[in-house]
Amino acid sequence: MLSLLLLIPLLGAFLLLFWPGQPVPGRMRNVAIAVLVAQLLWSLRVMLAFDIHDGGMQLRESLQWVDSIGLDYRLGIDGLSLPLVLMNGALTLVSAVCTRDISQRPRIYFALLLLISGAVNGAFLAENLLLFFLFYELELIPLWLLISVWGGAERAYAATKFLIFTAVSGMLILGAFLGLALFTGSVDFSLTPIMSERLAMGSQLLLLGALLVGFGIKIPLVPFHTWLPDAHTQASTPVSVLLAGVLLKLGTYGLLRFCLGLFPEAWALVAPWLAIWAAVSVLYGSLAAIAQRDMKRMVAYSSVGHMGYILLAAAAATPVSLLGAVFQMVSHGLISALLFLLVGIVYRKTGTRDLEVLRGLLNPERGLPFTGALMILGVMASAGLPGMAGFISEFLVFRGSIAAYPVATLLCMVGSGLTAVYFLLLVNRAFFGRMAITPPSDPQRDARLDIELAPVASRETVPAMALALGVIAIGLVPLSLGRLSESSSTAMAQLPALVHVIAQASQGGLG
Amino acid sequence: MSDALPLPIQLVWLIPIYGFSGMLLSMPWATGWIKRNGPRPAAYLNLLVTLLAVAHGSLIIREILSLGPQHLDIAWFRAADLDLRIGFDLSITNLAALELVTFMSLVGQFFALGYLDKEWSLARFYALVGFFEGAMAGVVLSSNLFMSYFLLEMLTLSTYLLVGFWYAQPLVVTAARDAFLTKRVGDVLLLMGLVALSAWAGSTEFTDLYTWAAAPEGGGSLGPLAGTLLGLGLIAGPMGKCAQFPMHLWLDEAMEGPNPASILRNSVVVTCGALVLLKLMPLLRLSPLAVTVLLVVGTISALGGALVAIAQVDLKRAFSYSTSSYLGLVFIAIALQQPFVALLLLFSHAMAKALLFMSVGSVIATTNCQDLTELGGLGSRMPATTSAYLMAAAGLTGVLPLGCFWCFGLMVETLGRLAPLFAAVVLLTNALTVLNLVRVYRQVFLDTSHPKTRRAPEVNWLMALPMVSLSVIVGLMPLIMMRLVPVPGIASFSPLTATLVLGSGAIGLGAGCLIRLDKFWSRSVLKPLRTVQDLLAYDFYTDRIYRATIVTFVASLASLTNAFDRVVVNGFVNRIGSASMASAESLKLGVSGQLQTYLLTVLLAIVLLFGSLSWLHG
Repeated sequence: MLSLLLLIPLLGAFLLLFWPGQPVPGRMRNVAIAVLVAQLLWSLRVMLAFDIHDGGMQLRESLQWVDSIGLDYRLGIDGLSLPLVLMNGALTLVSAVCTRDISQRPRIYFALLLLISGAVNGAFLAENLLLFFLFYELELIPLWLLISVWGGAERAYAATKFLIFTAVSGMLILGAFLGLALFTGSVDFSLTPIMSERLAMGSQLLLLGALLVGFGIKIPLVPFHTWLPDAHTQASTPVSVLLAGVLLKLGTYGLLRFCLGLFPEAWALVAPWLAIWAAVSVLYGSLAAIAQRDMKRMVAYSSVGHMGYILLAAAAATPVSLLGAVFQMVSHGLISALLFLLVGIVYRKTGTRDLEVLRGLLNPERGLPFTGALMILGVMASAGLPGMAGFISEFLVFRGSIAAYPVATLLCMVGSGLTAVYFLLLVNRAFFGRMAITPPSDPQRDARLDIELAPVASRETVPAMALALGVIAIGLVPLSLGRLSESSSTAMAQLPALVHVIAQASQGGLG
Repeated sequence: MSDALPLPIQLVWLIPIYGFSGMLLSMPWATGWIKRNGPRPAAYLNLLVTLLAVAHGSLIIREILSLGPQHLDIAWFRAADLDLRIGFDLSITNLAALELVTFMSLVGQFFALGYLDKEWSLARFYALVGFFEGAMAGVVLSSNLFMSYFLLEMLTLSTYLLVGFWYAQPLVVTAARDAFLTKRVGDVLLLMGLVALSAWAGSTEFTDLYTWAAAPEGGGSLGPLAGTLLGLGLIAGPMGKCAQFPMHLWLDEAMEGPNPASILRNSVVVTCGALVLLKLMPLLRLSPLAVTVLLVVGTISALGGALVAIAQVDLKRAFSYSTSSYLGLVFIAIALQQPFVALLLLFSHAMAKALLFMSVGSVIATTNCQDLTELGGLGSRMPATTSAYLMAAAGLTGVLPLGCFWCFGLMVETLGRLAPLFAAVVLLTNALTVLNLVRVYRQVFLDTSHPKTRRAPEVNWLMALPMVSLSVIVGLMPLIMMRLVPVPGIASFSPLTATLVLGSGAIGLGAGCLIRLDKFWSRSVLKPLRTVQDLLAYDFYTDRIYRATIVTFVASLASLTNAFDRVVVNGFVNRIGSASMASAESLKLGVSGQLQTYLLTVLLAIVLLFGSLSWLHG
């Protein structure tokens, strides 16, 4: 059942590559969309088969592959990966639908898109460390190509930076996995928590550190974040949607599944430091976002800030906070995808993303009123206004973490307040006021009133509206997502060793 | 939820839905899907659902009067030890507040039909007002802090959108921004309090929180620091909502929005904020400092707001500052644990202030002018508006049988015993408010006609009807209040108190009649007087203080972070990149082509690798 989630997009990619004759751009996209719809439908089918009361891995599939090095083909799904698989299906579909400029090598472009989607599904479903690593790396090269071939003016710099950072991340993760085998002396790459009876604490901390840095690059956390704003600004809109919505989640998923899941004892030991790291990351991302002039960079820095909440939630590792982490992953995926989509529309229509240049785009006749209205919704959701997905996620994270790390949690809340500052500045500058898309330093051109922006195609508004509806739906009926993930996040928080160590730590006055 | 409850009570969850459904119903016109007819149907649909809300509310009141207070809740989200519920607390005071909210919304929407007659985006206005009303109706009925917070934030959002209604004007843009950010500061602090309470007390129901705060193992076990921070966080949200010093600037700027929204904002929105504070009042025992802060903030807002109002030349701003001032008095009453006085003051203030803003709106609608120095002589030309203004002024100040006289009397009587200083604050505020009202009355309605007012007609019936009906209600306020809450009657306080209240009003009246009003005095040539006038007119330069402190602080921190990010973090990465490129270039030159050197390099690398591995392993 789960294998189909990999097979559909991968076979789709091959189908596109070997589609007979000269590639017609429209047809390539239609085939890709059909494949992605099938993938999404199958993900929903998996959700139906999923038992929400079981906190462990379900619908498992297992095949002996390369036994000698411990590489098995083992898939499974739980409440942590199911929402991410669903989101992967939905967001890849969105980015395929909203792709413009498809005349440039459509065959390869859509094949790469499908390949990424399949690889990401594989990474979320893998129940074997090496298998996870294979998929984690598999997604890297297509994304690098998508940025470096279909990107903006400085795409070479951004793509290389992305490649080097992510490759280092991959090496650290592989190193940690292999180190685990080396230190424990057994080639068992399954997802069993490592306890101190099996491995000394020093080695555990070393491996955990490597994993933390590896996933910290991917998430990204300060100070490993510098590839992200560059990659986003140079990537095209659909790639940004995919990057922010799905690929960053590989990092946070790894954080929960492998850092917390494999080394619960070491995790409990370093958790107070991680909480501080989270607060730093949140504040740093938010403050840096305030100073940005480029809308896309601003949204990218906001991602850095919002990913910090997940680290905070993982550090606290209570049932509520871990559920909050899942919520935050999904809501950040939907909201940042929405924001990148809208910024992409603005860029396409006006030719600029500079906040000093854009003004008054909400103009009902000549501007982009619908995009503006959705943008207000998106930034409010991101700022954590109730009724939308961002609020309930942040509330769960904060509520779950405050007892363990009061100061770090309060600082993160300050970061949530700062989100409102920069996003409000974005909306106020670009969408309110008298309409103009010329720099105010040029008064003669600036005073012109004859700007008329073309209406936005439904290819872009329909996915944006779908994302907005998803954001509101989760915000108003959080139970929909909560039921899927609750058992798993509770089970994860109750890793016995973790509870044991935390209890000891709190007796020692640490908690 | 038992089945025995009558249907209107069981369906109480519909009450906020009415407002929100109004928003959804307006959408086809607001977004321009329906273009063939004008936006009026959206307005009518909104009026209809608001009327339904009023009717449903009064049905519930009838049932509650016979059944006694009820509590209903519905599970919303439950996970692990977290249980978030949608709860409705149906007590008489909450329901009275609900009727106030829905009725004022109805009246305001009716008024807007006339006021925004030619507005092209009328449907958008009604959509926003529907959202506004739904959130407010939910806040007043809410029985838990989580839901209150949820809806208060929705109010923040809708205030932002309503203030920013005419978003093409630069002043509106800054006003909307400031309104949102100021309230958001309060909201984030309240969120901190909410999260902490939810984690510590395990529930957010107000009743559970009261028991928790009173229990020795609950609130009693809290350290003084935690208690103080919690108290400060909890009062910050209402402070922002009620435009209290130092978060009062937004209400003044928000006057850039359309007038019908100002009516609601100055009467019922601030009331919602104060009601949340009232519900939090029993928790304030955890934090003596928060109580002190409430008293200080209330006093500063009451007196400062009344003083600043006197120096304004803008018709709407002259009264928006007085809202901060009255809410300051409410804060004092809450801090001194006088809930009923606070409630009464909230109700009579809301009614009278709404009426005042309607008459002001009528003046603006007919003259297209809100500069006091350019208005004059409207009294004979706009009789309905003038009488509404007088009625509102009487209802707002301590004039004998009306609402605020009663409140002020009660307040002076109780506070005179508890804390005489604050009784003096009440009297002083009353005198200053009377002074302000008289000054504006003389300038706008008496005085000689100016070019802009010479041909002013009375407003059309769409605005006159709500205005006149509200005048009647303000006149009947004491009768309504008598049925509302079990408080001492209107004659319960001593003649001395009554004389004090009336006397303070008389002093204000005298001063207001004597003050010189011609254009030259609006900004005096005398240096000392002008300094004082400017100080008040610019609201003690609060906006400059903000800009010099918090705004500069955040902005410089942001640019510092950005510079650090670009120079240090990114620079470091780029440096490594260029260094590796450079070393590769130089290595290229160092290639000897001899096999031995390659072998040596490989050997050294292997030795190092194994050496480090065995060191780690050992």
